[in-house]
Amino acid sequence: MEEYQNGSEGSFSSEEAESIVKEGIDGVLGGDDYSQNHVNKWTATIVERCLTQLVKLGKPYKYIVTCSVMQKTGAGLHTANSCYWDTSLDGSCTVRWENRTMYCVVSVFAVAIA
Amino acid sequence: MVEGSDTYFLRPNHQLKFKPAIVKGYIREIVRERLSGVQYDPENVPELTLSLAESVKDKVKSSGFDRYKLVVQVLIGEQRGQGVKMSSRCLWDADTDNYAEDVFMNDSLFCVVAVFGSYYY
Repeated sequence: MEEYQNGSEGSFSSEEAESIVKEGIDGVLGGDDYSQNHVNKWTATIVERCLTQLVKLGKPYKYIVTCSVMQKTGAGLHTANSCYWDTSLDGSCTVRWENRTMYCVVSVFAVAIA
Repeated sequence: MVEGSDTYFLRPNHQLKFKPAIVKGYIREIVRERLSGVQYDPENVPELTLSLAESVKDKVKSSGFDRYKLVVQVLIGEQRGQGVKMSSRCLWDADTDNYAEDVFMNDSLFCVVAVFGSYYY
């Protein structure tokens, strides 16, 4: 498969975003167990950390980051998204993460400015 | 349209701005209609989540907000007394961009729908 090289510096790369998000989740949740007292701070820290790292890439995008954390009790969880945008410029990435006690799903949407 | 002169809009017309209250109403209406009395069924929920996202997007898209790109996120989970937390942050133009969300719950499932509207200059 051919990869486009030109202009790739300025456009959104979901692989790049995925590694940023994974790092963000690992850094915040790490080996912790689900705790109601901490979950507010965790989700806030994860989205903020991911956003900060995404902005550091210096690309001309607006970003929307959402993070959901759910305690594991055997209950099911589904997410879906639907976007109306320019598929050639805009992009998204979703990362699933879990440990013994919780699930975490982070989605990043990058919307080109112009 | 005036011929021969270019016009540039840097801000959406006030009347065509993304209005969270209106969008929230759409979400509420669609979600209530589709999920009232529905029991959580792991077989159906993946399609349900996706079609809900599509319906909400189509509805908001057709409501005539000026030059807005839309992101619709739907989360459906089974209710088993577990803790859930969803957060979001956006880096965008707070002047033009906005979001709306609504939560629906019955005794078997919960559903969170968030719509983000980003103005395309």
